[in-house]
Amino acid sequence: MKYVWTLLIAVIAITGCFSCADKDSGPEQKITTKTPEPADAIDKPLMIALSKAKNFHHKARVLMSDGQNDEAIKTVREILSLKFPAGAPEADDVRNDARAVLAKLLVGKGQLDDAMTVVKEGIAQSQRESFFVANLYTVEGEIHEARAAALDASDPNNKPKIVDEKHAAIEAYDKSNEINTRLQQELMVQPPAGQP
Amino acid sequence: MATDDDDILTGSVPAPDAEATPTERAHAKTFADLVDKTLAGRTPPAMSADDRALLEVATVIRAASGNVELGAAKRRSLVEDALRQAVGGVAATASGAAVPITRARRRWVPWAIAAGSTLVAAAAVLLLWLRGPQRIEIHDGGVAQPTPENQRKRPADPLIGPIAREHAGDAASRIDTIFADRMDGYRERQLAGGRTP
Repeated sequence: MKYVWTLLIAVIAITGCFSCADKDSGPEQKITTKTPEPADAIDKPLMIALSKAKNFHHKARVLMSDGQNDEAIKTVREILSLKFPAGAPEADDVRNDARAVLAKLLVGKGQLDDAMTVVKEGIAQSQRESFFVANLYTVEGEIHEARAAALDASDPNNKPKIVDEKHAAIEAYDKSNEINTRLQQELMVQPPAGQP
Repeated sequence: MATDDDDILTGSVPAPDAEATPTERAHAKTFADLVDKTLAGRTPPAMSADDRALLEVATVIRAASGNVELGAAKRRSLVEDALRQAVGGVAATASGAAVPITRARRRWVPWAIAAGSTLVAAAAVLLLWLRGPQRIEIHDGGVAQPTPENQRKRPADPLIGPIAREHAGDAASRIDTIFADRMDGYRERQLAGGRTP
């Protein structure tokens, strides 16, 4: 009988060693099957694009403070060529904000037509209304004002143009206010972020 | 009648150069015969205590001098007894008769234990040697959970709010705000292992 017990103990000891080996040693290859990351989640490409835009803005601000407006304009244009993930709403917002800065820089240099082109392109390419689009309308109004101011008011031939520019400026400001008001009303209806 | 010569163990010790007495010679011859018979396997059934003591001494001396061989039957009996005791049996000499080990009861047990242990050990070695990488598959059910609002790509309008005219060109501070907010959501998602909490 004691032989049987000896054999039984030996088997238990060896199987115990197997259990230890399973847990503590031996190659282990984990295969994780996960649900694909949803397309609407914040991802690395978005963060990279935002990070680059942030750095370009700060670089442009330093250049502007140093009076290097041409370099600042080049730098801000870099933001417009940044590649954002497809369908990211942040892309429109960041580009429109860059256009607003770029247009103001061009206005500062007296390149009013170029500034207007930058703003009009931004408004035309926007997929939706936003505070950034409203800001573009604000900048458009400023450009119209600048155009009106650039005309010689003493010349009677310029008077209709000046009136048109001022009207256009008013329309642009009104449009900006209209968008801002509508968006604010929508946001007041919507629950804050993170709440159902 | 007992004399000093008869009591060879407790009697007086003769001088080294003293001539052996006839009694001593006769006693020595008798003892020599006794030793011869003992070595021949014909030990007398009875003898005096002194003779027995001397005989044991003589046997020890002879054994210590070597070249002593046991008889074939005795040798076989001792070997089988030793083997039986090694595997837990009872010595056959206790019962007075040598039982050949080939006829011993349960003689297969030690062999079975040895074979079983060897097989288990071999199986263990083979298993450890041949075992492939452990594959652990983790499934999360495949059910797409809605992404929390703060971890989602979304318009920055609620974060920035209406832009005042005097801040129309202050895009640098706005991009800082947007970046910081999105980084919070991104980190939260990464720390959650890319899973929706």
